[in-house]
Amino acid sequence: MADIGDCLAVTALNLARRFGRGATMWCFAPQWPEHARHVAVEFVHPVVVGKRALPAVSIDAADPVASLRALVRAGDVILVMSRSDDPTALAVVRRAVAWGATTIWMGCGPRPADRAADHIVWAEDEGDDARGSAVHDGRLVLLYHVLWELTHVCFEHPGLLTTVDDADCNDGEVCITCSDEGRVGEVINTDGAGSTLVRTSRGIETIDTTIVAVVAPGDLVLIHAGAAIAEVP
Amino acid sequence: MSDATDFLYPFIEGEERDTGALLSDLGESARAKARTSAALRQATLERSTSVIETAAEAMSERFSRAGRLFVFGNGGSSTDAASLVALFLQPPWGQPLPARALVDDSAVLTAIGNDVGFDLVFSRQLIAHAGEADIAIGLSTSGNSRNLLYAFEEASGRGLLTIGIAGYSGGEMARSPHVQHCLLVDDDSVHRIQETQAALGFALWSEVQARCSAKEPGKGVWR
Repeated sequence: MADIGDCLAVTALNLARRFGRGATMWCFAPQWPEHARHVAVEFVHPVVVGKRALPAVSIDAADPVASLRALVRAGDVILVMSRSDDPTALAVVRRAVAWGATTIWMGCGPRPADRAADHIVWAEDEGDDARGSAVHDGRLVLLYHVLWELTHVCFEHPGLLTTVDDADCNDGEVCITCSDEGRVGEVINTDGAGSTLVRTSRGIETIDTTIVAVVAPGDLVLIHAGAAIAEVP
Repeated sequence: MSDATDFLYPFIEGEERDTGALLSDLGESARAKARTSAALRQATLERSTSVIETAAEAMSERFSRAGRLFVFGNGGSSTDAASLVALFLQPPWGQPLPARALVDDSAVLTAIGNDVGFDLVFSRQLIAHAGEADIAIGLSTSGNSRNLLYAFEEASGRGLLTIGIAGYSGGEMARSPHVQHCLLVDDDSVHRIQETQAALGFALWSEVQARCSAKEPGKGVWR
């Protein structure tokens, strides 16, 4: 597990690169919406005079998955702040792959699985953390303040913002049958006869879903060679 | 861009290509900021012990009289206000206590802001909601936000318990006769101030919870 400082460094550089290419950062904290608002205001209206305003938006909708599905464009960033077992947070980070978005998952308490998001930025789990105090005592705030600060340092290094770095690209999983690439898609609709419209990081595609069980809009599938080869739980 | 001072700036404009050095610097910067934040938090909590205990005792007395807590602030401090409210209302442990943030309703904020001015967005809400058993907490990094100073004046006139949480040297808030208890984070970074202000709010809440349980053993609520 990387040191939290190194973790924030890598995350900030990738975030700056995404902003540099026109990304919006969508901030979502299902249990702590005020923290999502705090991040958004930091980026949109910086406290340090002269720092550029960046497009960050807090999402606090009745159906956040539906709102994000409509709002997020490929290349955007989704910052989720939550506990690792929050079901809505999980639904968002899983779908983000199909939406072509980079995910940053920030929180405290038990950590998510290592590959659950592109960047996992987790508060130290010590003392009262197991009872959730990092959310309230300033330690979660510290994480996103430092993320903002480091992101702006990155803008002072324009040569490093144009670099294409595929290391942060988490474009799906691997087909267990042939070890070839598999990509995650989110079902838009299906004709019931095996022809299904899906959204992937590359856009809208028509795929064959005859070999997987019944699929419904919103389901995630693993795509290989134009066909769904498995449902993604 | 090329002149005699270029050697001072090895990565002029778009020429820089090595991310390793930057990432190393960023990582060290992050660790340094975390150390600074932790040290400020520790020092501030130690210095504020008596104010926190006095304010928590006064808050407990208000809650025991069915008082409610109103919290307000601007910008990042408005979200810190909401975070403090969440702590009282839906605590990770202990007793839920009635608290509201005066920053959550965009209809109310824009109506008052548009009709009578942003300086009065909090004080007008206190006029509508607050009574003499209630508590007002305002958060400001500068201590100079006019809408907070007006809110404290209104709260004080209505008999509320008033607590200010400010940064730097506390600004107007530290000098206001309408702020009965003032917690200060003596620093000049807005970010580090806000992190420690959250820690102060958490300490205040913890002390109130300790008194809540103590006053009515086995039940833990006053009403």
